[in-house]
Amino acid sequence: MAEPQAHPLTEAQSGLWYAQRLDPANPLFNTGQLIELTGPLDRTAFEAALAQAVAEADALSLRMIDAPGGPRQVIDPAQRPVLDVIDLSREIDPLAAAQVEIARDMAAPIDPTRDKLAAERLFVLGGERHIWQQRIHHLAIDGYGMILLTQRVAELYNARRRGTATGAPLPGLAAALAEDAAYQTSEKREKDSAYWRALFADAPDVASLAPGNPMSAPAFHRRAVEIDAPAFARLRAVAERTAIPWPDVVTALTAAYVGRHTGTSEVIVGVPFMARLGSAAARVPSMLMNVLPLRVDLTEGGDRNAYLGAVAKSLIRARRHGRYRSEQLRRDLRRVGGQRRLHGPLINLLPFDETPRFDGLSSRLDVLSTGPVEDITFTFRLHGTDGLRLEVDANPDLYAADAVAAHAARLAHFIAAASAAENLDDVPTATPEEAQRHLYDLNGTDHSVPDITLAALIEAQMRVTPHAPALRFAGETMDYATLEARSRALAARLPAGEGGIVAVALPRSFDLVVALVAVLRSGLAYLPLDLAQPEARLSRILASAKPRLVLVRAEDAHRFRGEVEVLSFCDWPVAPAEVALTGPAPDDAAYVIYTSGSTGEPKGVVIEHRAIVNRLEWMRAQYGFTQADRILQKTPATFDVSVWEFFLPLISGACLVVAPPEAHRDPLALARIIREEAITTAHFVPSMLAAFLAEPAVQGLRLARVFCSGEELPADLRDRFHRTLSAELHNLYGPTEAGVDVSYWPAGADDASRPVPIGFPVWNTRLYVLDEAGRPQPPDVPGHLFLGGVQLARGYLGRPDLTEERFLPDPFRSGERIYATGDLALWRPDGAVVFLGRSDHQVKIRGLRIELGEIEAAAMESGLVRQCALLAREDRGTTRLVAYVVAEPGADLSTLRAAMAVRLPDYMVPAAIVALDQVPVNANGKLDRTALPAPDFASSGSRLPATPTERMLAGLFAAELKLGSPVMAEDDFFALGGDSLSAVALLLRVRAAFGRDPGLGALFAQPTVEGFARLVEAEAPAEDLGLAPLITLVEGAPDLPPLFVIHPAGGISWCYGRLARTLSPRRTVYGLQAPALAPGVESPENLEALAAEYVARIRALRRQGPYHLLGWSVGGILAQAMAVRLAETSAEVGVVALLDSYPCDVWRGEPDPGEDGALRALLAIAGHDPDRLPALALNRPSVLAFLRASDSPLGQLPDAALDGVVRVVAGNNRLVRGHFHRRYHGPILHFRAALDHAGRDLSPAQWEPYAASVEVIEVPSLHAHLTGPAAVQAIAPALAKALEMAAANEEKPCVTAG
Amino acid sequence: MAIEPGDIRRILTPAAAPVTREAMRADIARMLHEDPEEIGGGDSLIDLGLDSMRAMNLVLKWSEGGLALDFAAFAETPTLDGWWALVEARQSAGA
Repeated sequence: MAEPQAHPLTEAQSGLWYAQRLDPANPLFNTGQLIELTGPLDRTAFEAALAQAVAEADALSLRMIDAPGGPRQVIDPAQRPVLDVIDLSREIDPLAAAQVEIARDMAAPIDPTRDKLAAERLFVLGGERHIWQQRIHHLAIDGYGMILLTQRVAELYNARRRGTATGAPLPGLAAALAEDAAYQTSEKREKDSAYWRALFADAPDVASLAPGNPMSAPAFHRRAVEIDAPAFARLRAVAERTAIPWPDVVTALTAAYVGRHTGTSEVIVGVPFMARLGSAAARVPSMLMNVLPLRVDLTEGGDRNAYLGAVAKSLIRARRHGRYRSEQLRRDLRRVGGQRRLHGPLINLLPFDETPRFDGLSSRLDVLSTGPVEDITFTFRLHGTDGLRLEVDANPDLYAADAVAAHAARLAHFIAAASAAENLDDVPTATPEEAQRHLYDLNGTDHSVPDITLAALIEAQMRVTPHAPALRFAGETMDYATLEARSRALAARLPAGEGGIVAVALPRSFDLVVALVAVLRSGLAYLPLDLAQPEARLSRILASAKPRLVLVRAEDAHRFRGEVEVLSFCDWPVAPAEVALTGPAPDDAAYVIYTSGSTGEPKGVVIEHRAIVNRLEWMRAQYGFTQADRILQKTPATFDVSVWEFFLPLISGACLVVAPPEAHRDPLALARIIREEAITTAHFVPSMLAAFLAEPAVQGLRLARVFCSGEELPADLRDRFHRTLSAELHNLYGPTEAGVDVSYWPAGADDASRPVPIGFPVWNTRLYVLDEAGRPQPPDVPGHLFLGGVQLARGYLGRPDLTEERFLPDPFRSGERIYATGDLALWRPDGAVVFLGRSDHQVKIRGLRIELGEIEAAAMESGLVRQCALLAREDRGTTRLVAYVVAEPGADLSTLRAAMAVRLPDYMVPAAIVALDQVPVNANGKLDRTALPAPDFASSGSRLPATPTERMLAGLFAAELKLGSPVMAEDDFFALGGDSLSAVALLLRVRAAFGRDPGLGALFAQPTVEGFARLVEAEAPAEDLGLAPLITLVEGAPDLPPLFVIHPAGGISWCYGRLARTLSPRRTVYGLQAPALAPGVESPENLEALAAEYVARIRALRRQGPYHLLGWSVGGILAQAMAVRLAETSAEVGVVALLDSYPCDVWRGEPDPGEDGALRALLAIAGHDPDRLPALALNRPSVLAFLRASDSPLGQLPDAALDGVVRVVAGNNRLVRGHFHRRYHGPILHFRAALDHAGRDLSPAQWEPYAASVEVIEVPSLHAHLTGPAAVQAIAPALAKALEMAAANEEKPCVTAG
Repeated sequence: MAIEPGDIRRILTPAAAPVTREAMRADIARMLHEDPEEIGGGDSLIDLGLDSMRAMNLVLKWSEGGLALDFAAFAETPTLDGWWALVEARQSAGA
């Protein structure tokens, strides 16, 4: 029976084939649709029509063959789908039953090498209702092909019903294959390739609507919405005016929508292209569809029609070159793997109604699947004549169902708005509902707060509880009455006058608190100064703030003399003068705190009483503070967190417990004071909290509540907090410019948020997340965080310019201001705000936005580190992520990278991990980034790479990283400066060198030369088959030098197995095998090169001689050449044994045996005498089939390996003919096949010019049987004796030397 | 004989003026931002810059009057002559 002709897959199919092979369990490679047919279906006509259509569409009958030379396909009528009629009319709910069955069928993956590619099913629901389901693997069809097929069925049905002609049959697959083959070698393809390469030469990295790895999940979310009819009419009017087809208008607007979410100046979207216009395959139901990457420039000049024109032009050009496969382009551009994608979301326009018309029936089409959904696909389908439906399909690994629904609604709104706008700048991103909710509903925080000053609040409290303890410090207590008296006394001494500032430069003490309260009561604003700061900075602050006075200890007074009036502690009045204090007004300044400016010049933030009162009253009410609370004051006064620490207790009648100076950096001291003073409330900057929790004394502490602010609170730290101690945990956020904190989030033990949000606005406060143009962002879309409300600072002291820059008019509430935080944030769908980092120090690696918090979280989740800080360092022109970690006791940090790689996309895995004893913090307890050491990318190993794999890998590391110094076996690719990008490039080199690579994950797991070498070797498919370049035939006594046996012509050295096992005493025997056995590995230039490679291999395995060599046939020639090379490098050569080998000279004159000869040799290697098999045709398939059928171990090899053998045989013939021997200045031992070579001029003596001596041992055997049982019985003892003698010779010098 | 929804549309749509070769040439030219004289009967419209989306729009436009045109057939022969042959065949079949 003749096998039908097998074809290679088309380019279009190949991409799908490999994707499916990588993910065989994914059912989304099946496309599918159902058509609900209502009315009197003529079942006979339908069955006949379907049978004819599927017979015409022969792609449906394809069978895939996974051949070693690449997949192939045949049209096999046995694979043709047959209509399966399923009667569900007796079910209670036939429609539901059909839907369940269809869903089950669509969720079942198929194996394209085994299963039918297509299924056609007709569900009989009863009552003149039917559902026709089609399920066809994407290898056989694309969306347009499905339409052709479906329409053809309808045409045939109608013709049969009407008795009219059946129209033109669908052309067969041959047309498509011919077209594909012609294109492969065409000039057009060259031109297309050049076009795309040029277009993408400077393309940015691809951004999409959600981060994460775009690998299709086995299912997808779908949400469909209708584009409203007036909007669609407007779109078509725009199309008419601009002479741009409306589908291109929709594509362009959708790309603009994508850009609104990525925040990039350019987006690259994918546009499916049917690749049929003008093609002989135009009407072939098959897989031709391509996805064109479309670069869209979004530097919106705003003018809509200009933008549409530009995109339409790009689309025209793209389609002109649209035959060129995007999979190929991806390889051309090396955008392969994970995040190196070619395009983001897909935009698919179907500008025709696909529903078929069956006479007498009404039909409704539902497209179930159009193939894998890697990221998100926006499909616009025309239905009827005027309806346009938007379907959003998205990968559930990347998008929640709600997010998909939101995109559907939002994009529909965006397109409707854009259809009516002349300028795209006027088109909002968020829907009106989203804008209303975020701008107004969530910010509905109006709350009445008494219009009173902080001074008045404190004074009121001091009057109410005069005898309650107000302060604790160093074991002493001060009551409210004393605080009142002392602060009043000092206040009266201070120079009164509006708008004045008094600097306070005191360490933590009672006096500090007295001073602050006194300044407030005097109606002045206090300015905290940190004496640890450099003189220059203090001077600049004093020059800027011009305080009336500075309050200091006597011993520090000298630092201010000459610059400002000083009031030393010893001069403070203790007894209050009986004068009434004027006190401040609510809009007077309460304090001025200097923050570092981006220019390095400190900026004084002026906060008024009304602002801080709002903040304190909110906190008191929100968390229910009472007189029973004991609040720890440990934050330096120069950091605005201290403001509530100082004053919240004093307005609540609670006790303020002042930690000793410097205690805020000492976890043990803090734990002690919290326990001894029964603290109920404390604040920590998250990095300090991490250090604090690591202190054993903290275990089991109880507090009422702990507040975090100042830095992002990592989710893992939250969880560790709740495991370590017992307290509420609250995450607060706010810049100094907005009265300490403006948002709050309860980070309780039940909070599972990742990341931990900064939450919701406090009283009378608004949070806005806006895009660059000031439009509100929809949920989950990053934007700039702006703050509004009563807590905003008055501005920067003496810097109206800076104030104007940061404090802007509120665009959503007239007459109010907002503050531009410079922070990036997003609204979660529940309205909570998530902080994403600074906009000005945004970290980008290769154009990808990186959330350092996420990387930190991955490090923490590993359980290996207790603290982690990330830094993006710029070094030699590349930005690398460096992780600074404090290890958990006993943790092995060498596994950290692999642990992180499990949780992070590859580009987020740090290039270097630096272990620290502790993370450096600055005076405010925040991470001090400037104190982090630069990572050392130098080699740290000491062992030279030893095995051939190691040496090869070390070379590849050095080449990829452009290292000047040698790479050692223990060196870590990433520690040498590799990042994920260079890792991918390295793997390409590894693949080229070894024919395989264990993958990126493996490199992360084993980044050292030695570790990765083990994986490369373990990965070797060849090793499983015994085809590795070096195999161990026998393990023997470790003290005996091993014997290296070199393969004969076939490249395989298993033939020596018997000999190796028979040798006595047992010694290790290694077999050298041809590297070219592996697919894709070329035979070397010449035999010398091959011998050199083998010498390198054995020397890498064993650095010391003696090297015993043995080779049969070609192997003997190689052994001699290796002996020459070894001797040249003064390596000690032991026995050089040849099994019936003859010098090249005698072969050179003979004609090249060609492929026939190679096949004959292969048969001989397998133990067959080719001359005795005259009936066997000497071609590859029949020889391979014979070997398979025979019991030769060669027959067990897969086709690829057998192919390798044939190639090696042919290559060795060439090598032998081109080789010229050099003389080996040592003896050769020759085992001659004494029963062979009758009538041929072959003699061991022919070696004499090339060796010092030739000792011949006659073996009564044929050449082909020299490694067989009989011959081995003769050879093994003689060989063993020679090896023994060599050892004795070797020992002699030692004896004499002794 | 039942009346199909599509038939209703066709019945209700006033019969448009028949599509002419020159009208097609003008429509194609407009799509390509060219003068109608530039469009030769045998010229490959793809070489002139026509893409599938534009071709599909043209086919949809010409079928607006109720002419049942099959884009797939148009895709096979993208020249004015080829397309006119398809349209003419349909128009005479319908007449």
